[in-house]
Amino acid sequence: MLEGAELYFNVDHGYLEGLVRGCKASLLTQQDYINLVQCETLEDLKIHLQTTDYGNFLANQTNPLTVSKIDTEMRKRLCGEFEYFRNHSLEPLSTFLTYMTCSYMIDNVILLMNGALQKKSVKEILGKCHPLGRFTEMEAVNIAETPSDLFNAILVETPLAPFFQDCMSENALDELNIELLRNKLYKSYLETFYKFCKNHGDVTAEVMCPILEFEADRRAFIITLNSFGTELSKEDRETLYPTFGKLYPEGLRLLAQAEDFDQMKSIVDHYVVYKPLFEAVGGSGGKTLEDVFYEREVQMNVLAFNRQFHYGVFYAYVKLKEQEMRNIVWIAECISQRHRTKINSYIPIL
Amino acid sequence: MGTPLERSSRVPIGCPDKLGGATRKKVAPDSNGWLSLAKARYAMGAKSVGPLQYASHMEPQVCLHTSEAQEGLQKFKVVRAGVHTPEEVGPGEAALRRRKGPAKTPEPQSSEAPQDPLNWFGILVPHSLRQAQASFRDGLQLAADIASLQNRIDWGRNQLRELQEKLKQLEPGAA
Repeated sequence: MLEGAELYFNVDHGYLEGLVRGCKASLLTQQDYINLVQCETLEDLKIHLQTTDYGNFLANQTNPLTVSKIDTEMRKRLCGEFEYFRNHSLEPLSTFLTYMTCSYMIDNVILLMNGALQKKSVKEILGKCHPLGRFTEMEAVNIAETPSDLFNAILVETPLAPFFQDCMSENALDELNIELLRNKLYKSYLETFYKFCKNHGDVTAEVMCPILEFEADRRAFIITLNSFGTELSKEDRETLYPTFGKLYPEGLRLLAQAEDFDQMKSIVDHYVVYKPLFEAVGGSGGKTLEDVFYEREVQMNVLAFNRQFHYGVFYAYVKLKEQEMRNIVWIAECISQRHRTKINSYIPIL
Repeated sequence: MGTPLERSSRVPIGCPDKLGGATRKKVAPDSNGWLSLAKARYAMGAKSVGPLQYASHMEPQVCLHTSEAQEGLQKFKVVRAGVHTPEEVGPGEAALRRRKGPAKTPEPQSSEAPQDPLNWFGILVPHSLRQAQASFRDGLQLAADIASLQNRIDWGRNQLRELQEKLKQLEPGAA
């Protein structure tokens, strides 16, 4: 890639970068969140959201309004914005945006496979799939009995095909193997996406590589924490860690042997970036590790907008929008459950 | 046994306080359980923790066991499925010892522990989902205690009413 993205970037991507910056400016402000947490019912929440960029997105929803309906409509709205970016994009931005959709495709494939295991109807599950991860072959996923079947019969022509190299096996797809498949696919996807950004170079690599490295490390931590007390062996656990990031390779090797949260914390003492995050867990606010990681992710994605002429703004916008959706869903849940003590546990963005 | 007046004074009236306390205690685990489910949805995704993940065939993890307490009152206890209470072990043993020929008594159906419902949501579930399960389990035990207390209160009220009727019948005679 030629140096000096600022000379050529706007020719192909300037319009879309301007558009995504406009979308980012319409994210909810602190004042909007103050108004939302004061709502007594979901109908109040709907009325307050009408005064924001969300507008009348819930106008067609029948009563009673539920948290699930709010989440579904927000997802559709985000998907509409993303599809507009993708439809108007040129290479290599189009490939970058396709990489972004792969994570949702993996989630949809796993949702369909788990649904098949629980003998749910395909139609019911398709309605719950993430719209950003839709692909034509989705409906046939439930007929596969092994990962090899899944690849050979269904996913070989999809963007997920390159991520299957470490996942091929003849093992029947039970809960454990589906979980292993999910994490191995995601690992392979992250590594490939990272390589794409690194090879692209320029400001995109400077912005995206640290973000993806953090994502890889986060996955390693969360997989480790959630595997305590489960049937996942330490050897299997280690195979799920993405092979890049600040923890790779020594930190991952130590993490694979950890048996509790305190051991994880002692490993992290050697990593200046992660030590304060682990120290923030618990405390008076009762923050979990997921909460502190989400906060860090928001910080990194907001900072991405401080640089111009790179693709990272599209990734950062979608991630910030997802955090905003999580915030709204959390506030809606607290309102609907009349459990207001933790209603302010959202992560402000702007 | 004593006179109706003496017997009416022995009817337990402290139970409503215990019932109120138990009911208040049950509200906390239930509401914490629902909030923990919301936290799990926050961590895993809103569509990852919901009815879509429920198994098509569900087996109960706990059963309600009834026993007769003093005064013939029914007492409720929550027992983990697949675990026999001490009262059930004795008669069951004779059937389990039979080894020759076809079994004439059927094997107890709950001899295997049912699958943990946490697995419906994946193997690597966040801590908040486990917390939700623990909260709902605590709530179940409290529900059984509340039912037992409610039974006792209803019995006590009926006893009090009967004794008050008898007292009324006796009073004109005494006068």
